[in-house]
Amino acid sequence: MSREEVVEKDFMVYRCKSCGRKFYPKHDRCPYCKGMEFEEVKAGDTCTLITYTKLYILPEGIEMPPLTLGIVDFGEGVRALGQIMTDNPRIGMKLKPVWGFLRKVGGKDCYGFKFKPIEEEK
Amino acid sequence: MRDVAIIGVGMTKFGRLEGKDLMDLLAEASLKAMKDANVENKEIDAVYVGNMLSAAINHQTAIASSLVDRISIFPAAADKVENGPASGGSAVKNGFLAVASGVYDLVLVVGGEKMTTADTDVLTDYIATMTHPTAEYVHGITLPALAAMLMRIYMQRYGVTERHIAMVAVKNHKNGMKNPYAHIHREITVEGAMQSVMISDPLRLYYTCPISDGAAAVILCPADKAEEYRDKPVKIIGVGQATDVQCVHEREDPAVLKSCRIAAEKAYKMAGITPKDIDVAEVHDAFEILELVESEDVGLFEKGTAHLAVEKGVTEIDGDLPINPSGGLKARGHPVGATGVAQIVELVWQLRGEAGERQIKKDAKRALACNFGGFGNNTVVHILEAMWK
Repeated sequence: MSREEVVEKDFMVYRCKSCGRKFYPKHDRCPYCKGMEFEEVKAGDTCTLITYTKLYILPEGIEMPPLTLGIVDFGEGVRALGQIMTDNPRIGMKLKPVWGFLRKVGGKDCYGFKFKPIEEEK
Repeated sequence: MRDVAIIGVGMTKFGRLEGKDLMDLLAEASLKAMKDANVENKEIDAVYVGNMLSAAINHQTAIASSLVDRISIFPAAADKVENGPASGGSAVKNGFLAVASGVYDLVLVVGGEKMTTADTDVLTDYIATMTHPTAEYVHGITLPALAAMLMRIYMQRYGVTERHIAMVAVKNHKNGMKNPYAHIHREITVEGAMQSVMISDPLRLYYTCPISDGAAAVILCPADKAEEYRDKPVKIIGVGQATDVQCVHEREDPAVLKSCRIAAEKAYKMAGITPKDIDVAEVHDAFEILELVESEDVGLFEKGTAHLAVEKGVTEIDGDLPINPSGGLKARGHPVGATGVAQIVELVWQLRGEAGERQIKKDAKRALACNFGGFGNNTVVHILEAMWK
């Protein structure tokens, strides 16, 4: 997979079998009810941007400033943090999770989820 | 549980301290505090050293044992305490517990960090390793980026403007000018701050603390023995520590620092007082937005109103509730492991009336320190009281 390419992929989160609440990332005990059995479920196809930043002073392993980072909300209490694939972010914009190149860590390429804007439907 | 008093304080100057290594700084602050407490010839039972990065950037481990060796306080028990940027606060808390329990009678707590010899990108990366490895760090997150996202969500919700953030920075620089121990001695203007370099939009350079070297130390003993050592002892009347989920996106409300709120509630409960009883505070403004959010979450102002207090000058040295009279992390500097101890050193000086040109105008009896670890997922709060007032 090239660094520029992204593919659609389901963003999976954890659902507690005791209380039914969903969360991400993984905890070994449910943060809400301390249940210890979980199932992986799809978070949803779209999410909403709730805050963001454009980072100009980059950590080692990321080469092209600025890097847009944000927190997205999938609903049902599930949020995630990640790279936002636009130079024009705005709070409330709709995004979808995609899989692609994130950065280098210790000289190695790292891939993972990031969030791509969906063109708003009229 | 025994009452615990602070009978000695000391610190090095903070800044880019050429020619002084980590052990030089820890030893200097420790010896100053021992002198201040008149315990140079007494047996120190234990030492707790707050430090985050010695293994990562100074190529040195087991530094508490090294410190004992440098200042010859054998056979004192010695431990390093690491809790990210709250390492200093956690070290003081451990010293407090050791004396309160009755196990030790004379304890040295010192926090220190030697940071300026490391490259900035290496340091930024090490500090970012405090974040969640797979859900935060790998995406390129840095502490300034987390602060920027908090700043945006908080400003939008409470109608706070960038000007307010700049006003906090201006106040802290003004205080730092009067503090001979401060890293930064430069007066700045609101306009200048608002034109400084963008680090992580909307967070600018002047809304961010510098990278510093330095160390700070306190000596603790049972409160009922304090006056045998010196006058004006300061009692630690409340200690609270609380944790929250590691990922900022998982917080119940990303504009609230719940660990600060709970740590403060625990400290007030132990002290048997309310936020209204606090006369002066040092809060962890690694980023200026944090001074506003923390001062609300520890209960000093209603949520969403701290910026109004800044507008009215309430938090200035001559205001009704001075915050960061030392200049805070913004101007005093932020040698990570030293900060939590340095906050307490400053408050002891303020309570004793020994803070020189930056001495607050009101006659303070009680003070609060808030030391913030991770990005707010592990906070330590201490409440101090002047025993002679």
